[in-house]
Amino acid sequence: MRQTNARRITRAWGLLVLLTLLSLGAGHSGWTGLTANTLILAAAFAKGRWMMMDFLKLRDASAGWQVLFLCWLALVTIIPWATATLPLLLG
Amino acid sequence: MDAANAMNAAQEDRPWGALSDLPGHPMMWVLILTEVVTFGLLFMTFAVTKAIHPGLFAAGQAQLDPVLGGLNTLVLITSGWLAALAVEARTIGKRGTARLLLGSAMALGLVFIAIKIAEYAAKAQAGIDLETDTFFTLYFLLTGFHLLHVVLGIIILAAVALSDSIVNLKTGTAFWHMVDLVWVVMYPLIYLIG
Repeated sequence: MRQTNARRITRAWGLLVLLTLLSLGAGHSGWTGLTANTLILAAAFAKGRWMMMDFLKLRDASAGWQVLFLCWLALVTIIPWATATLPLLLG
Repeated sequence: MDAANAMNAAQEDRPWGALSDLPGHPMMWVLILTEVVTFGLLFMTFAVTKAIHPGLFAAGQAQLDPVLGGLNTLVLITSGWLAALAVEARTIGKRGTARLLLGSAMALGLVFIAIKIAEYAAKAQAGIDLETDTFFTLYFLLTGFHLLHVVLGIIILAAVALSDSIVNLKTGTAFWHMVDLVWVVMYPLIYLIG
């Protein structure tokens, strides 16, 4: 069980590193715009979710706590996406 | 009567109500909830102000180094990984391994601080400070406030490494993961999205 937990934590870390490198690559290359913003913030959401579930151990908490924290994460990624995207869509 | 006794027993089992379901001491989760709400409001402020001044924020962001920010993200998530493994090691009784992992997590926290100070120094050399414009006021406010949490997080990790009961480790690392989580959102918000 503990071994499984450690393996899950390490797998989450690997995915976090991978997504960070992809986001960094996008930012470093100067890739901007709607698609870049969407992918970068989706990656941030995915990273935050793995951290909550596997590092903060919300996976073992009740569904209510998971929903509450995921709502916070959704809010802090969707609102910056919306405020960055609206000017792009409006030209 | 039986129902009243059952309710009393349930309250004794879960004296903090729903907070008792979370790992570590419930008071830490009160702090974590307060912090995520505070940082959430700061993120919204940044995002909305950016929508009002898109040109100013684009110019400010162009003066940041996304590689340094990304490097700090890698440093912090690796530190969080080591802290999470420390709890697993302590749970199976490997106290020495847990302390070593916590020490490594703290060392990476210090690396984060060093990189952030180097970044601030580069900004100072370029003549950029808190009063340069709205973008940099918010940049220094958000990253500086987060940096204070990194410092506090290292102190908390050191305290739980010394007093290393399982519940203390869960409590201390929960704060550290919150600091990590906040940065994972802050990095793309400030450095990457255009």
